[in-house]
Amino acid sequence: MTDALARIHAAFADAGVTGRLHAVDIDTGAQLDAGADQPVCTASVHKLCLLVTLHEQAAEGILDLTEQVECPPEGRTTGPTGLAAMLDGARLSLRDLAYLMMSVSDNAAADLLLGRVGLDAVNRTTARLGLTRTRAVHTFGELLATIKEDAGPGGAGALADPHVVTRLRALDPARTNRSTPRDMTRLLGAVWRDEACTPEHGAAIRRLLGLQVWPHRLASGFPFDDVHVAGKTGSLPTVRNEVGVVEYPDGGRYAVAVFTRTARTSALLPAADAVIGTAARLAVDALRAP
Amino acid sequence: MDLVRHLECFVAVAEESHFGRAAARLGMAQPPLSQRIQRLEKHLGVRLFERTSRQVTITEAGTLLLAEAREVLARSEALMATARRIRDGETGLLRAALPPDVSGETVAALLAGFTGTGAAGLELELHELSTAQQLERFAAHELDVGLIHHPCDVSGLELGPVLRRELGVLLPGDAAAAGLDEVPLASLTGYDLILFPRTAAPAVYDDLLTTCARNGYTPPTVRHAQGASFVRGLVLSARAVAFSPRDAHGDGEGDPSQRPASGVVWRPLTGAPLALRHSVAWPGGRGDAAVAAFAEAATHALRTTAGAMPDLPSRPLHLRPASEYWL
Repeated sequence: MTDALARIHAAFADAGVTGRLHAVDIDTGAQLDAGADQPVCTASVHKLCLLVTLHEQAAEGILDLTEQVECPPEGRTTGPTGLAAMLDGARLSLRDLAYLMMSVSDNAAADLLLGRVGLDAVNRTTARLGLTRTRAVHTFGELLATIKEDAGPGGAGALADPHVVTRLRALDPARTNRSTPRDMTRLLGAVWRDEACTPEHGAAIRRLLGLQVWPHRLASGFPFDDVHVAGKTGSLPTVRNEVGVVEYPDGGRYAVAVFTRTARTSALLPAADAVIGTAARLAVDALRAP
Repeated sequence: MDLVRHLECFVAVAEESHFGRAAARLGMAQPPLSQRIQRLEKHLGVRLFERTSRQVTITEAGTLLLAEAREVLARSEALMATARRIRDGETGLLRAALPPDVSGETVAALLAGFTGTGAAGLELELHELSTAQQLERFAAHELDVGLIHHPCDVSGLELGPVLRRELGVLLPGDAAAAGLDEVPLASLTGYDLILFPRTAAPAVYDDLLTTCARNGYTPPTVRHAQGASFVRGLVLSARAVAFSPRDAHGDGEGDPSQRPASGVVWRPLTGAPLALRHSVAWPGGRGDAAVAAFAEAATHALRTTAGAMPDLPSRPLHLRPASEYWL
């Protein structure tokens, strides 16, 4: 384990990132802790908390997942994928909005769902599940608005300036949506053990996590056809996260949460994306070692 | 009661969910820790934890108080840090650091500038530290201010203005490109590159190579070397080039004259695509008059002795869908 920890820290350093990781064997509780209790900015990883809240409310009969939602083009939260990038109005069920939110991290779909369940409900759900250090303080639209405001007139281009990066509220766990790696593996464990929701809703959540399209982070560490990877990424300037579950055909299943901050301010850093998979694989291999 | 100390115990037990582990983390024995939690519960009139024989879980009330307890601890730490700075301001000690690549001339100008400011009477304890070492010491509260290289992880820091020291190329005098006044990076194609070992600063290293690639120069091999004479030796003997700031090269203004003695010439790069980027940095919330005086002296010294310029306006940025955000 100590060897694995040293290799994980070396991998983070080599990729030019500061990384926090927690990995847990979902069935035995064996774990690997590389900064598991450090507060981190969740960014889009918080969509997982929202998804669990949505299913909790469906299980309680507060809402119906097939309920149709009008999604007009006006006032949509911005983003590069899904409804956030579409030009025309649409009508989708709550569960299909959830699909867009989880598969391509659709910010508009996420805020429509958040509008339906409420920020407080998300915090009640995470508190109920014992995630004492997890808290959502704003919607995804509000989160992006703080970046726009803090970046100033230079827009996205100003985010290459380290001076600007230091003043982004969105990058300070005390002032934005936050959690810890340990809280996130706890949430994933609860979802996979059907403790967070009924088995029917648990299966629906696991399905959506398995439909995420991005191959460059957690999944990149497990290039094996017989290994299943399900997860949710989160990204902001200098922030690259992913939390997910890796399942082996022998029944071994591992919840992994990796949160990183890059030294470089560039938007494109393939090595920083890939090290999330590399570190997760080192951790899972250590947990699976005989 | 010492509320801060008791809250520390509360937060530790909450985070560890285990009295033994929390006690170990606090460096105390378990019985006094249990007593402190009981005293705190009595003081607050609220039950913070449910204890069974095997485990301890935080109560709903405890959860509600945890965030505020953390805030009190953070504020308390900030207060202690400020008090220490005020105290040290009186005794007159500022712990500052510079990276090894700053020239002697720059250090001298900085010291002259610092003592010439309102910081007179303040003692400057100057250390030679790499950026990684400075970040570690900031976190350990062992350093007040420093001059760091970018890019690095700036979370939790405050920065002065970012300055760039333009990099030129050292190449053999008989290379075709040596005949040019300004060398386009792409014309170095075919030459190996001599660079500092990557482990010294992976992000700076990657940034330099990415910028080379973006401008059409992908070296066949990257060789690692640091000492100035060793680098020059490699440039002369192997088919290789190296990057070096104008001030470190040592030639004056005007024509960057050849150095027949060594056979190595320095040329600026067309469009100045490469630079070392510096800024003064200090831990967030811990800046004061002494830190500001150092920041100003360092910035001024770099501008006047190292030809450092304000950072360039940024290039176009095309966010791709996997960025997950859009401005």
